Amino acid sequence: MSRWTKFLLAVIIGAAAGLFYGWIVNPVAYVDIAPSSLRADYKTDFVLMVAEAYQVDHDLGLSVRRLALLGSSAPTEIVADALSYAHQHEFRSQDLSLLQDLGEALRTWNPNQEIPTP
Amino acid sequence: MKQDRRGSWYLLTGLVIGIGLGLVYSWVLSPVKYVDAPPYALRVDYKDDYRVLVAAAYLYSGDLVRAKDRLTQLKDNDITQSLALQAQRAMTEGRPEGEIKALGILTMALVQGKTTIDSSILPGQSSAEGSPTMVTSPTPPDLQPAGASTLVPQTSLNSESVMNTPGPTIPNPTFSEVTSVPTLGSLFVLEDTTLVCNPDQPQPMIQVQVQDAEGHPISGVGIVVTWEGGEDHFFTGLKPELGVGYADFLMIPGVVYSLTMANGGQAANDLTAAECLSADQSQYWGSWMLTFILP
Repeated sequence: MSRWTKFLLAVIIGAAAGLFYGWIVNPVAYVDIAPSSLRADYKTDFVLMVAEAYQVDHDLGLSVRRLALLGSSAPTEIVADALSYAHQHEFRSQDLSLLQDLGEALRTWNPNQEIPTP
Repeated sequence: MKQDRRGSWYLLTGLVIGIGLGLVYSWVLSPVKYVDAPPYALRVDYKDDYRVLVAAAYLYSGDLVRAKDRLTQLKDNDITQSLALQAQRAMTEGRPEGEIKALGILTMALVQGKTTIDSSILPGQSSAEGSPTMVTSPTPPDLQPAGASTLVPQTSLNSESVMNTPGPTIPNPTFSEVTSVPTLGSLFVLEDTTLVCNPDQPQPMIQVQVQDAEGHPISGVGIVVTWEGGEDHFFTGLKPELGVGYADFLMIPGVVYSLTMANGGQAANDLTAAECLSADQSQYWGSWMLTFILP
């Protein structure tokens, strides 16, 4: 076996060792993530919770701040995505209505009317 | 001869290069992207936001099963305790009252296992018209101002009111004894005021037990404590390990406090931190135990 062959073999073994360490010995652990990294179903449930809370507090500004945790997309877009997912996965009609209500309310929301919170 | 002098270092070099390539690939070319993560992986402060949201959603739906399911996703060891601790933190950090109430209400619901919400404890600014699961009513007014009472608790140290207790004196009721939050118009009566001397708890506190006429603890009762230049609100049931009708407030020595139920009733006035004597004649702070009943 030539030196080059042995060298390449060592590289492959090194890479394999790195992968073994990264995947088996010390695999990626999900810690300290932001809500924007949640799985689609959890995100949808998050939006649904915002919609449920909105029915009680009727505070669109608060709803928008909560939705902002899910990413930098527009709040209406976040709710639309959630509604789409909810339709696809046959959520209860009450839940769909809640999401629709929040989405419609957000269309009329004007951030300039928001009183900044301290 | 030349090849022999180089030895086998090239193998180690190959290994290092291989590991380096792997790291460059995993850290630079294709770094880990956190996607499809579950709620239990959220950062601690986001978990707090998540719990608040679960509690706020519960106020609308009253669906305790769903709230439990959602909280379970956080994989806390004890979801009720986590929620209660967060409610206490929210109070001390001066979080919005609606948030504290939501956390408190869900905590109590989890403790009691009840599935409906008493509308009288919902945030006053709420309006849930059209909601199929909740009956709305205005926030109960303060039916009697603090200080209106003619019954003033005994706050001086005397032999009848002092108890030397070696350990905690708070009863630990079973959940089946728990009653719901009183209805609008209920007036609490201050039944007993006792100075509790417990060397294991040297900080002066106002401890409150709220019970119904049968002696069952009542959770979720708002309590208002006032002093010169200040006011604070707290609720029974946020320390379920001490009883769902229990609440306490840390006193500052030298400050005179008045305490009453948020819904009205007799007030306990002129409460100040009082000292107790230990067996070796050293002094330590005692706590006032106030028992309110709903006749």
